[in-house]
Amino acid sequence: MRLPLGCFLLAVGAWAQPANELFESSVRPLLAARCQSCHNAKTAMAGLDLTSAAGFAKKPIAARLLEVIGYEGRTKMPPTGKLSESEIALLTNWVRDGAVWPGNAVVKGTQAHWAFQPLRPSAGKTIDDFLEARRAERGLRAAGPADRLTLLRRAAFDLTGLPPTEEETRLFMEDRSAGAFAALVDRLLASPRYGEKWGRHWLDVARYADSTGADEDYRYPYAWKYRDWVIDAFNRDMPFPEFVRAQIAGDLLPPPPGQELNASGIIATGFLALGPKLVAEQDKVKMFYDAVDEQIDVMGKAFLGLTISCARCHDHKFDPVTTKDYYSLASIFASTRQFEQIEGTVSKLFYAPLAGKAELAPWTAYQKRLADKQKEIDSVTAKEARRWRDHLAPQIARYMTAAKRVIAGGAADTDLDAGVLARWVTYLKPAKERRVHLEDWYKQGDAAAYQANYLAEVALRDKAQADFKAGLLKEAPKFPAGANRFFTEVNAAKGPLGLPEKDSAAVAALKAELAAIKAAAPPEPPFACGVAEDKAVEQHVFLRGNPDAKGELAPKRFPVVLAGDRLPEIKSVSGRLELANWLAEPSNVLPLRVIVNRIWQGHFGQGLVRTPNNFGVAGELPTHPELLDWLAAEFVKRGSSFKAMHRLLMLSEAYQMSGDTNEPAKTKDADNRLLTRFPMRRKTVEEIRDSLLALDGSLDLTIGGALATGTGTDNEFSDGRKSMHPDDSKRRTVYLQLRRSNLATLLTLFDFGDATTSTEIREQTNVAPQALYMMNSKFVAERARTLAGKLVEEERVDQARARRAWQTVLGRQATPDEVAATLRYVAGFPNGDGQLLAWSSFCRALIASNDFIYVP
Amino acid sequence: MLRRAACGFGMLGLSSLLAEPNDPLAARAPHFPAKAKRVIFLFMHGGPSHMDTFDPKPRLIRDHGKPLPFKRPLTFAENNVGGLLKSPWEFKRHGQSGLEISELFPNVARHADELCLIRSMVGDSVAHGGATLQLHTGSNTFTRPSMGSWVVYGLGTENRNLPAYITLKPGLSHGGAKKWSSGFLPAAYQGTAVGLGGMAIEKINEPIEHLKNYGLTPEQQRYELDMIQKINAASAARRRQDPELEARIQSFELAFRMQTEAPEAFDVSKESAATRKLYGIDEPETADFGWQCLMARRLAERNVRFIQINHEYGPGNEVGWDAHSELVRLHTRTALAVDRPIAGLLTDLKTRGLLEETLVVWGGEFGRTPIAEAGDGRDHNPYGYTIWMAGAGVKKGFVYGATDEFGYYAVEDRMHINDMHATMLHLLGLQHDRLTFMYGGRPFRLTDVAGKVATKLLA
Repeated sequence: MRLPLGCFLLAVGAWAQPANELFESSVRPLLAARCQSCHNAKTAMAGLDLTSAAGFAKKPIAARLLEVIGYEGRTKMPPTGKLSESEIALLTNWVRDGAVWPGNAVVKGTQAHWAFQPLRPSAGKTIDDFLEARRAERGLRAAGPADRLTLLRRAAFDLTGLPPTEEETRLFMEDRSAGAFAALVDRLLASPRYGEKWGRHWLDVARYADSTGADEDYRYPYAWKYRDWVIDAFNRDMPFPEFVRAQIAGDLLPPPPGQELNASGIIATGFLALGPKLVAEQDKVKMFYDAVDEQIDVMGKAFLGLTISCARCHDHKFDPVTTKDYYSLASIFASTRQFEQIEGTVSKLFYAPLAGKAELAPWTAYQKRLADKQKEIDSVTAKEARRWRDHLAPQIARYMTAAKRVIAGGAADTDLDAGVLARWVTYLKPAKERRVHLEDWYKQGDAAAYQANYLAEVALRDKAQADFKAGLLKEAPKFPAGANRFFTEVNAAKGPLGLPEKDSAAVAALKAELAAIKAAAPPEPPFACGVAEDKAVEQHVFLRGNPDAKGELAPKRFPVVLAGDRLPEIKSVSGRLELANWLAEPSNVLPLRVIVNRIWQGHFGQGLVRTPNNFGVAGELPTHPELLDWLAAEFVKRGSSFKAMHRLLMLSEAYQMSGDTNEPAKTKDADNRLLTRFPMRRKTVEEIRDSLLALDGSLDLTIGGALATGTGTDNEFSDGRKSMHPDDSKRRTVYLQLRRSNLATLLTLFDFGDATTSTEIREQTNVAPQALYMMNSKFVAERARTLAGKLVEEERVDQARARRAWQTVLGRQATPDEVAATLRYVAGFPNGDGQLLAWSSFCRALIASNDFIYVP
Repeated sequence: MLRRAACGFGMLGLSSLLAEPNDPLAARAPHFPAKAKRVIFLFMHGGPSHMDTFDPKPRLIRDHGKPLPFKRPLTFAENNVGGLLKSPWEFKRHGQSGLEISELFPNVARHADELCLIRSMVGDSVAHGGATLQLHTGSNTFTRPSMGSWVVYGLGTENRNLPAYITLKPGLSHGGAKKWSSGFLPAAYQGTAVGLGGMAIEKINEPIEHLKNYGLTPEQQRYELDMIQKINAASAARRRQDPELEARIQSFELAFRMQTEAPEAFDVSKESAATRKLYGIDEPETADFGWQCLMARRLAERNVRFIQINHEYGPGNEVGWDAHSELVRLHTRTALAVDRPIAGLLTDLKTRGLLEETLVVWGGEFGRTPIAEAGDGRDHNPYGYTIWMAGAGVKKGFVYGATDEFGYYAVEDRMHINDMHATMLHLLGLQHDRLTFMYGGRPFRLTDVAGKVATKLLA
């Protein structure tokens, strides 16, 4: 358990933390949350600006501050409600310590915020120099080097998400050369397992999933292509600028030579297309702008580390992002196509074709042939149905009377159509439910009245139709189903007047033609869930986020604080291409800082900035700002290559430290911000499941493709809405289908996140249901049993079985004590009906142990 | 236990955090003393018609068939609407309070003097998905934690052998698991679904996943668990008592207790014949919802913090309350399915003294329109509808708010869904604008930037 330091301080008071950190982690967020909406540079109520050091310096009212938050005098602040005791204690301590407002972070308002400044890389240093300098300031030292086995496991899980293979273990353990670890890193980076692990990191950020979630959970049938694209991009070590450009505007990048379109680029725009959408929202303007907002949100968090979508309704409370900035971006995404059709109860998603016109044409023609034939069938059927109804209508009374007799136990009239009569019997059988329109029948039994009612309704409708045709009615007449429920029900396809089930010769012939068309279907061209250019929208600012309250025009541009107030030249329709290029420019340092921080987090558990999606003013400050800048500069120098960064980070001493802590560090660096030791981490859910499958050799390492197919949503009542059960596949977890509205419980159990908003870091909780999974799930039981089966079958001696169990599950040799304990366990297994059960149980104990689930 | 998500605890107050900083589920004192210790939320998926249940509209009888005299707001079924439709059911006054309730709820009506009808509910979505999400999470736009998660985040739990937040037979449509998801709150606050909407109760053989071991006797399992703990203790010692490793060791002991004690909570076989009758468990129409209501009482007795019961669409229930047509048939059958079980639950809670400390909330994602759809149905109406509360902290036999004379808009004491959440939290002793969690750079709360406590209805 490691509480963030900020919280810890809120709880137990301010000591043992530099004022600077305390301010940034606790005081500033509190001021931001409760004070700044009125006391900012613009509004400055009571002449007070609590957003910056400079503002505060103008009116340093520290003592007065304590008065008003005490809620005892005439002025009570904040007016929305008294601060909690811990919050008051926090501000009291801050004031008592001199109300120091650290000046290095915010000098003149938020434009000077550190993250927006040019890089200030220091020359001639190494990662360890930066880390050591900070440790030395606090008189702390780093842990010693980790042992080789630890290092092997750590590297293997960090780069591939899997335990080292036997072959890998042998290669590394036998290589005693100085370059052994570097060679290991290279081998792991070359494995396709690497993209599956690091692609998943990015998929978290990109809130990747296979359905719209929200209300109707419509499937994104081709989402998996984006997932595979990401995995492949990592495996190919795609340079970062290319990675960025493809995901924002891949469809607008030049196609490869000889190709009509840039298929891979279109797939990459799945980054924008695959967000949650409320497709059945009836306020379609809201739905559309929610989708736009979602894209701004994910783009802002993923690439800029900024929560831009806060500015949808008001200027950003903490960051220098205005509503105009927001709507300038909205203008770009509103000019981008992501719906096939917005109108209708459920809006239709847009699927971007990946085929050229020539390939697409036969498919489009085929779709039309299908639709035309279906229309013909429907029209002929409708005519037959009408003829059949007209034929039966004058006999309604006879049938009803006959049916009544049958229901009462009497005989059926032989001169009536038996099939039709049977339907009447079914229809008229008294039910427990109230059927208002049949109540008269049950009471009075006046069949003639029902027949008359039916015929009158026919006449009424025919007349209305005729009047409409003759131009006497302005609108086509409507006949709601409930206006005459009896008429509706008896006419229903399976109702008493519905057509017999057997098709007429004419309909059967038409259906045969339809089948023939289907049989001769051309191959379906490939599609992607991506975006495309739409019409250029002239976007206004929506005041308070309300589309009906239009403010000034917001021309397409990028946030002024980052891009300056020069209007970019927009040549693409939407402006996405220009946005993509701007994001990927090496002079745009924010995306660089954000991405190297993510890479750091992928190795050290926490970023140098511990709020990786928020580099804004309300985010945390970097623990090592110089190191962050140095890494960003190195990244560019090394060709913006992810793999180069992995090498750089993993070959540092810091990465190769042991996880053991020493006494001063344990207290003075409780949450390891100074990296005095290597942070142990729990496996991610993917690592848990994949390494379980690897245990008994059943892991299927096939790369890519869809594990589930289908479009649309499911029947509202069906269990089919569930995501595929993870136990039903042996593929790596990254390939499992993700239905947003019902993620597999295994995923939520082990802190997968919700795949709906950008996940910056996986939580790491420790709760009883996780233990239940280890103890009782069939999946774990199966792995343990298979492994035990192998032990019992392939090893003759119990000692060998014990050694192999430890080696396979925990990847290390058992000590003699452990072997002895294992043997005692098996021998003493209560009421064991054979060795297999005892060995299965022992294997499960190892699987459930901490050493299996934590990466050292 | 929580590595980084705990920031919000800072907002919760001092005492609780100091008690057990490692445990996200530790029971915590509320912001201020309150009567309600838990919630039972009866979710009526589809949207019951308020004009036909708890909000009589004589004007509709007078003007039956006439066009609506004002411009109709955005509806769901735009193209299939007709004139005003009077209620096919009669309303009568009930109890000392004289609350008017229709004949659809004869049994609940006997508890009129316990009910606090809120006739002025307002939501923002005319479609089920958005409305249902807003009812459960406060937002119809963004993914947010569900109200049960917020409540458990605020108060923790007093029974560690059962999940703190249980939803019985929830449906997977219209928001799916988002309805009981913890969103950006830590996963420990996630609701546990017992069965699913449309699933027969006999098929729920494992109310909580992984609660049962298939293959080991309890003795063997204890033997195995001791081994796990021995291995863990050894590795924790090597790691010098890393608190995270310690926490994981504790979680196994807790799990072991849970699997022995939780199944008992779900075992209704020892309930008396009288109790079964009270809930209508032996009648086919009420068996399913009756079981849910009885389970709710059993879970309430065991101090589960947030219990949700769902009347869902699905096999046996057709479209539930969502009567776009055939209002009479559908509402009759749906009301029949829930009326007696709910009345049974209220009686039982009262008899056992649980109603005084339990907040019972009944309602759908919206109400229905006063105008007809498809001739004999009603469309969705989020602009004014009724829910009711009963039990801890609310006025009894009380009517809060009102809709216009047609039942279309809430006009008096409007209670937006955000206000309802603020009020529910208040009844539990939580100040809605102080129950916050840092996410994406700002503190979030269930009521987002809105929410007003409806003080008039507080007892």
